[in-house]
Amino acid sequence: MSNSTTQTKAEPSDQPQQQQKPQVLEEDDEFEDFPVEDWPQEEAEQAAGSAANGGNEHLWEESWDDDDAAEDFSKQLKEELKKVEAAH
Amino acid sequence: MAGQTPILDQFLRSVASFVQNRDGAKLQDFLQIEPPLSDIYQQMIQELRRRYPSPQGDNELLQRCEGLVPRTKGASSWIAFPTFMKLYFAFLRDVNVDNLLETYNRLRGLLNQCVMALGDSQMGVIVLPTVFYLSKVLAKLAMGLDRRPELIAHLLRSEGLADREESIEKVTLVEQSANVVREAFIKCLTDRSGTPGPQGKPEGKRIGIYLMANLCLKLLFQCGKLRNAEQMFASISAQSPPLARFPASQRVTYLYYLGRYLFSNNLFYPAQIALQSAYDQCHRQALSQRHLILTYLIPCNIIMGRFPSQKLLQRNEAQGLAEHFEPLRRLIIRGDYIAFRQHLSLSSSSAQWFSRKGTLLAIRNRCEILVWRSFCRRVFIEGGFHGDLQVNGQRGPPPYLYLQKMAVATQWLRSKHNQLPLNGNSNLNTPQYYGPQTISEPTDPDYADLEDPSRVAAPEADQSILGKYGDYISPDSFFDEGGHSQQNTPGQLVDGDPNVDFEGLELDPYAAIDDFEVDQPSLLMREIESILSSLLTQGLMRGYLTHRNPRFAIPGARLRGALPTGYPNVWQTISAREREDSSVPGWVRPPPTIIGGPAMAAGGRVVNLSGARPVGVQ
Repeated sequence: MSNSTTQTKAEPSDQPQQQQKPQVLEEDDEFEDFPVEDWPQEEAEQAAGSAANGGNEHLWEESWDDDDAAEDFSKQLKEELKKVEAAH
Repeated sequence: MAGQTPILDQFLRSVASFVQNRDGAKLQDFLQIEPPLSDIYQQMIQELRRRYPSPQGDNELLQRCEGLVPRTKGASSWIAFPTFMKLYFAFLRDVNVDNLLETYNRLRGLLNQCVMALGDSQMGVIVLPTVFYLSKVLAKLAMGLDRRPELIAHLLRSEGLADREESIEKVTLVEQSANVVREAFIKCLTDRSGTPGPQGKPEGKRIGIYLMANLCLKLLFQCGKLRNAEQMFASISAQSPPLARFPASQRVTYLYYLGRYLFSNNLFYPAQIALQSAYDQCHRQALSQRHLILTYLIPCNIIMGRFPSQKLLQRNEAQGLAEHFEPLRRLIIRGDYIAFRQHLSLSSSSAQWFSRKGTLLAIRNRCEILVWRSFCRRVFIEGGFHGDLQVNGQRGPPPYLYLQKMAVATQWLRSKHNQLPLNGNSNLNTPQYYGPQTISEPTDPDYADLEDPSRVAAPEADQSILGKYGDYISPDSFFDEGGHSQQNTPGQLVDGDPNVDFEGLELDPYAAIDDFEVDQPSLLMREIESILSSLLTQGLMRGYLTHRNPRFAIPGARLRGALPTGYPNVWQTISAREREDSSVPGWVRPPPTIIGGPAMAAGGRVVNLSGARPVGVQ
């Protein structure tokens, strides 16, 4: 909810009307009508080097088990388990 | 001069020619209703008020409108249309936009009549653009009033409508509108001209199937009556031409609503397919739509074990999403289930956003098992037996984890969180004999008195209780043990004094088994066993549990190692299971008869648009 108006200047060329008003993305829960009826699939794809199909792999992370986001947590857990083992 | 209506005459001539030429778009363009209307309409309204005043002019007005449709053998062939035109003129003439409720009702009546005109098998298609236009105006008005109910509250009150709410189920203006729009949708879907059905093309009224469906879905989502959409999706599955043959804007909008519908029915895999396809086909500059699609596509994937990549979160349309989904990701990976619950508890600010989007309960209920998987995995890494490293020699035991370590880790986590008091009291030193052992939940207010019996007041001491429940706890008469009716002294409690202690008299059904055996697993251990069983049943962990000397064992880990074997990849596990049926209810794909067509080979995940021909109302 904090930085919802910073992106209005992105991609200056060939904008449809959608980008003209300031974007209050957070509050607008309504799926707006599209300003155009139809478009070819090329206009739906991201400009930067997207493969025609199956280019979704990089959008989703399937392997996250060894993410280091929890290193600290693991360390504390290890110490606790050791402590209990030593006590027995 | 009072009888002269030059502008109206001209208007009617134009309408007649549009009907004759079957020019629905021009007809719609003429039938404006939304203020501000241009001068020419204002002049026509003046003419209507002079020449055909309400209500005595209505019949004559209808007669004039009857001339608009071709006659066959003296009878008008399309009687619904003149009636609609008369209503249209009456709307212009009489509408009072200061009374928004009346305006709404008139508009709904007008649309209703237009939908009837749409029903004609020959001529109906001419009013399709008008039906769509009126539907949109009605939807906008209904949704506007829904958001600002104070605008019409006084009107509902004065009509006595506000008080009826208790006795009958309230049908909101939005739902009423959805019902009218659904009628139009059905007329479009059931058009039998040309080639109907899944082999068919979007021609005739079928052009409007998804336009009307999308509008109806928008209204149903707004009024929270998603269940009413079920029949729509079933009808579409049975009768609609393939979605791919409709224009991109309609496809994307439809797949968005369909995906959300499936999501709210816990069908996350098909929801993910629909939403991913909506995202893939959405115009890349339609940021607000792409943003909304991601709002549902991301939780769909998280629930099935996939997180959005940094690359995705950095896209323009994903702006603002990382702040909601990144903490969730960290919590799931870390395995701290207490922090996870706190993060998504109704009182937390972080849950508000998910709640408003309607994704909170699904995320909370479905992701907690992933948190437990991470937690168990971490305990295994730090405290499990990882298998014999010696390649030669005897076959050692498989890798395993003593569940006692899980218990220790659970206690540790609880004490860690109780440093900051969790939810009220939870003293780890006094064992709990009921309720969850892995987490402290605040006592439900309904049962708070059980914790503190002194708070239960004796009813006779409390006149307010007697006043409220007197007919129940102190009735005029009652039936005794023998079934005989007895008179009761006013104010006397028929069940006696609630504070009498019956403990000495109570039967204990568990007396025989209540002796705690030495090796009786603790309640905590039982709870951990049941959570791990659930993980095993869902395929999120692989191996088996031993009940005596409780362990989680991971057999067959020699080749791949204990971790990948015992804790397989979540997304791969779920998607491999779900992929067997990749059909998405409500999404009509092109028939699989196209020779060499990729639609089937791709398992239905890719929408083949190469053969799609754009159609549209205009």
